[in-house]
Amino acid sequence: MAGPLIADQRAAARGQRIYAMLLAVTAGVIMVIPAFGSNYTKTFVMQGLMSCALAGSWNLISGFTGYVSFGHAAFFGIGSYAAGIAIVHGGIPAPLAIAIAGAAAAAVGLTFGYPALRLRGPYFAVGMLGVAEAIRVAVTVAEPVTGGGKGLVLPPEDVLDAAYYAMLAVVTTTVLVTYRVATLPVGLRLLAIREDEVAAEMNGIQVTRLKLGAFAVSALFAGLAGGIYAWQISYIDPGTVFAGSLTVRAIAMTMLGGQGTVFGPVVGSILLSGISEALWTRFPFIHTALSGVLIVAIVLFLPGGITQFLQNRGWIPRSRRL
Amino acid sequence: MVTYLQVIISGLLLGGVYALLAGGLTLIFGVMRVINLAHGEFLMLGAYASYYLFMRLGLNPIVSLLLTLPLMFLIGWVAQRFLVTRVVRAPLLTSLLLTYGVSLALTGGAQALFTNDFRSVPFMSGAVNVGELALSIPRLVACGIALVLTAAAQYFLVRTRWGKALRATSQSADVALACGIDIDRARTLAFAIAVALAGAAGTLTSFLYTVYPEMGRTFMLKAFAVIVLGGMGSFPGAFLGALALGVIESTAGYLTTTQVAEAVIYVTLLGMLLLRPQGFFGLKEA
Repeated sequence: MAGPLIADQRAAARGQRIYAMLLAVTAGVIMVIPAFGSNYTKTFVMQGLMSCALAGSWNLISGFTGYVSFGHAAFFGIGSYAAGIAIVHGGIPAPLAIAIAGAAAAAVGLTFGYPALRLRGPYFAVGMLGVAEAIRVAVTVAEPVTGGGKGLVLPPEDVLDAAYYAMLAVVTTTVLVTYRVATLPVGLRLLAIREDEVAAEMNGIQVTRLKLGAFAVSALFAGLAGGIYAWQISYIDPGTVFAGSLTVRAIAMTMLGGQGTVFGPVVGSILLSGISEALWTRFPFIHTALSGVLIVAIVLFLPGGITQFLQNRGWIPRSRRL
Repeated sequence: MVTYLQVIISGLLLGGVYALLAGGLTLIFGVMRVINLAHGEFLMLGAYASYYLFMRLGLNPIVSLLLTLPLMFLIGWVAQRFLVTRVVRAPLLTSLLLTYGVSLALTGGAQALFTNDFRSVPFMSGAVNVGELALSIPRLVACGIALVLTAAAQYFLVRTRWGKALRATSQSADVALACGIDIDRARTLAFAIAVALAGAAGTLTSFLYTVYPEMGRTFMLKAFAVIVLGGMGSFPGAFLGALALGVIESTAGYLTTTQVAEAVIYVTLLGMLLLRPQGFFGLKEA
């Protein structure tokens, strides 16, 4: 009886090697793109990296603890505006402004997370939706500082390459942190909250502290991504940086790749970025509708994501390192 | 004093229309624990249906309700049978993402079919004077129709066999199933009714506001605030919450600007969630 099992394990180990190799090749290609790629390619990959940072940071709170944050764009938006205001009104150099962006988003995450994370399930989801909208409107109203609905113009700089690597650094850090979290006991604790929060608490897990910590780290990475975006694009407005579609893209990518996994958000964002770019160039008029259909299809046919699909077939091992 | 009374009354009239939309949203949440992010898009479909029936066939929106209600009921039935029913037992995220996908598909479809132009139905205008108050006729009519439909839905829920089945499913799906209630059917019925009510709300908004593909979004966010106020899952709660939100919105709009009024709505939503997540009379599980 041991024969097939060992064969399965071998097949899975081979699968894991292929999986790792594909990821490594992709990472290598992404590393060298600024040296060879056109501006179009660079901008496209940079957009993908930004989505990946958002998906990865969303995964840290929602994929692991199951607290569905439907207002993740809020942290991206706060990061954008924090960096934008620091650069425009404070004359602060960009790297410092981006650090401020991350800190501001994490601070807001802690402030709202403390009360909001007491809410369960649908109440938390609706609450975060409310938080994102409230912050968007607040930024729109605070016209003297933020420029209101007209948006905020940053001094234009040609920093595409620098921003590209900065975004890549954020993505890499997010993945590394997720890997650490997933392979240490803290990851199991977070997953325990997802499965049954009361039982987790009964087993001595400090639920509130963990949730809040995960939420703040998640907000930090989203804020950093927002700061880099603002610096590179040099024009931000509330409708763009607080767009609910940013949140949903991040969620759809994470779900496609696999929630609560290390590389799920990466795989999901590579696939979904590619697919939606292809849809956008081929069918510009019904692009939105097709993305909707695509999301519905993912939910109906791949609810556990690609990682789980491959694991169920025995093509890659059920390891939390993946 | 008269001005303030005027503000409150216009808030109540606004609330009547919100009640139609939020009533359905809360019904869906009650029987399935599903948050329907496509609810605003069903309103948008209803609004476009009324717009085209008015422009092409000259049907006035009140008459076209007789067509849009059954049409939207059917759309809701189909959406539930083919899509939503597959994710009822899945984790919260699955249904959220599914309904968002539907919402995106409907918005995008509407943009492709109807273009992004702002449209409106030129139907009814003017005001009647009651004492020193001036009441807008279209708003009075819209609120009247909304009240009739809400009352009919409430009658259905409280008095009829299927209405009781629906409320039983909402209280506890497992126990309802054990009592021999066809909960799948009850859920389909709830979704279809909710979509029909959203469509009716769309018909009413078609002659009160402008019609465009993305109109559903703001309405949906307001409907969320309403059902949080009233208690998620409670139909009478949604009615009271809608009136309350209408008054809050129009008062805030009168005292400050419409933008600040929008912020006030979200702050109300958050405050209620934090202080009393079960709302006026919601399910006790927040």
